[in-house]
Amino acid sequence: MARPYGLLRAGFPYLKCLSMRRTTNFPIDIALGKEGRLYIMCRSDGTAMIRKYTVDDEDRGTMGGYGKGDGQFTWPVTIIADSAENLYVSDEFLHRIVAFNSEGEHIGTWGEHGTNAGKLNGPAGIAFDADENLYVVDSLSHRVQKFTKDGKFLLQWGSYGTGEGEFNMPWGVAVDELGDVYVVDWRNDRVQKFTAEGGFLFAFGSSGSGNGEFNRPAGIDVDAHGDIYVADTGNDRIQLFNAEGRYVQKFLGDATLSKVALDYMMTNASPNRMRDMADLEPQKYLRKPKSVAVSNDGLMFVPDNGSYRVQVYQNQAVPLTPQEFSPPRRSVTLHQE
Amino acid sequence: MAGNDVAQMAHLMRRAGFGTTRTELEAYVQKGYENVVDELVHPERGTPIAEDILQRYFGGEGAYVGLWIYRMLNSKCPLQEKMALFWHHVFATGLGKNQHILASSDQIDTFRRVGMGKMRDILLALSKDPAMLFWLDNNENRKGEPNENYGRELLELFSLGVGNYTEDDIKNCARAFTGWTFAQPIPLYPHGYYSPDFIFVEEEHDAGEKTFLGHTGNFNGDDIIDIIAAQPACAQFIARHLYNFFVADEPQVPSWNVTPPRDAAAVETLANAFTESDGDMSHILRVLFNADFFKAARFAKIKSPTELVTGILKLVGTHHRPEPGMGQYAGATSLMGQQLLNPPTVEGWHTGKEWIDGGLLTTRVNFAVKEVSDAAKPGIQDVIAQLKALGNDAAPEKFVDKCLELAGPMQVNDTTHGYLTQFAAANGPLNFEDEDASEETESRVVSMLQLIVASREYQLG
Repeated sequence: MARPYGLLRAGFPYLKCLSMRRTTNFPIDIALGKEGRLYIMCRSDGTAMIRKYTVDDEDRGTMGGYGKGDGQFTWPVTIIADSAENLYVSDEFLHRIVAFNSEGEHIGTWGEHGTNAGKLNGPAGIAFDADENLYVVDSLSHRVQKFTKDGKFLLQWGSYGTGEGEFNMPWGVAVDELGDVYVVDWRNDRVQKFTAEGGFLFAFGSSGSGNGEFNRPAGIDVDAHGDIYVADTGNDRIQLFNAEGRYVQKFLGDATLSKVALDYMMTNASPNRMRDMADLEPQKYLRKPKSVAVSNDGLMFVPDNGSYRVQVYQNQAVPLTPQEFSPPRRSVTLHQE
Repeated sequence: MAGNDVAQMAHLMRRAGFGTTRTELEAYVQKGYENVVDELVHPERGTPIAEDILQRYFGGEGAYVGLWIYRMLNSKCPLQEKMALFWHHVFATGLGKNQHILASSDQIDTFRRVGMGKMRDILLALSKDPAMLFWLDNNENRKGEPNENYGRELLELFSLGVGNYTEDDIKNCARAFTGWTFAQPIPLYPHGYYSPDFIFVEEEHDAGEKTFLGHTGNFNGDDIIDIIAAQPACAQFIARHLYNFFVADEPQVPSWNVTPPRDAAAVETLANAFTESDGDMSHILRVLFNADFFKAARFAKIKSPTELVTGILKLVGTHHRPEPGMGQYAGATSLMGQQLLNPPTVEGWHTGKEWIDGGLLTTRVNFAVKEVSDAAKPGIQDVIAQLKALGNDAAPEKFVDKCLELAGPMQVNDTTHGYLTQFAAANGPLNFEDEDASEETESRVVSMLQLIVASREYQLG
């Protein structure tokens, strides 16, 4: 699908919240399946699992679990789904990629610890390209590697540093529909964009808390319009950039109680009273989001890491044709046309 | 490098920190004792631990104690963490009652932030700490219906000690803290803990006249703390706490009003340092660590469970970068009788000999022996490398003495030394000649270290 010539950004309202404590403790990432199926990766010290869920706030059980054995993970970071809805999980402690089918059956594990080409050293972000080859951010080796789905090494780029194409403990990665690769350069507080082979295209972001600045950004996604979404973890927000890396807007959180949370609270009188005594303003805000995922139908899912839930927003961007969108301007203007 | 310098530095770092790896120890010795003390008492000049790394790898509120142990092991300002632990001992606040891990962990963060400052500021921060306010019921302390729990413990256990105030002082202290409470935090379910914040509720505060420790006025909590911090009894009380925690074991706090300090002159020295510095902890600690009574107090204390666990982890050289499973060490100290964030009562943990009974000793020894059982751990590999440098045919005594030196340096009595030497001699000289011999020798080194950490002497820090 070709990118639209322009976008009328009508709005991007909060839609709803999914899940609650106990069901999705410390969600670190989310994979989007078909027909509203969601796979929420949860991680904390001594626990890890995939919670199967739906956009209708329905719990469908768990997959995988904490450990070092087959089909287990210790420090999972990223979960993604391929076209057959098989799930791939990076584990930055065990230095490997673990795969499941959508029923939760373990279908493969690959990866060997090391720093040579094809070895893994703290794999964090993972993303498929259109051919379902896998880009892996090899965080502790400050590089990106590309593999086939079953782990055959294809190429790599990057080294430690602050220059173009250099990284400091990078985290998230996304691939757009054109095959370009976006890498979140975690400890350099920026995002870098590359060609599919690792050719540097541009970078945006710097350290700070202002618009377009980052405080240890983690996950990233790119939608069909080319818009770039970055989980700005240390600033407790998601930031949206256009395809050129220009800041568009931020999402601080607007959570309401999810359906399951509402049901739970209806049978718990004491916390209801405490809520009535409390300042509820903070409950809507995101807390340390480490990832973001956008669906083809414009839904943005934010695993709200510190609040055990997923906040969902609905993009209302309207594609524009050249007739509906004037040519680019070199200068800003006050002229009202 | 003079053996005594190394031993003295190791003593300092066991007390002012949580032990060292051998490499760290040698680097400290190079700096010189007084320079290291100066570094320790000024954490603000040091490099803080990388909070972004902690945030990235250690998630979840349940991980807090494990994360604290990680900080103890890896902080470049270990005295800051040790003082947080000290105040946790003195201002014991129990998670068992509070049931709010964020409030409890916030309290430790506060101790880390203010714990090396002035006593007045420390007591003020304590009096505004939601975990403490709830623990001692000050959230129910209101004008006309005072709850004296916090006021009483502030005087009895946190600042002056029994015998240095009257019942009327307690009542008026409590009145001064009426209205000091916290805003209701959003409850845990469904979306997790939120930190509570201190608030002052003016309409619940008793602004009337009060007489406290001989002073009269319309005192509030700030005024009360000013008066407390200026009391000679406060200087004496905190000095004795510091002596007990950093120098040598004292009897338990409730007996202090009837049992004199084991070294009254030392406590007096510390109390004088308190008074001359307006209760500045950095100054008092500098005096303490440079004092002869401190330097002479090697192995005069029984290690707390936290000190035992962190000391062993330093010895084996693990956990210097984030790894999963730090929570197991929180579990380990709990099994040994020190559940961090959850002291048994407001008196805190009973220390010294009360850390150890038959069952707890077994738990301590089992933990230590298990931790040193893996020859692949970096600290064990260092010991092996240094033994290898002795060459083949090292005499059994040399083998024992080198292991004791590298495990501390440790002092053991003749009986223990005799047993260790007997064990060393049983299998002949150390032999690193080939791979098979090296493997067997490494196994013997592990066994020797296991015997050492299982010894009576290893319980002393």
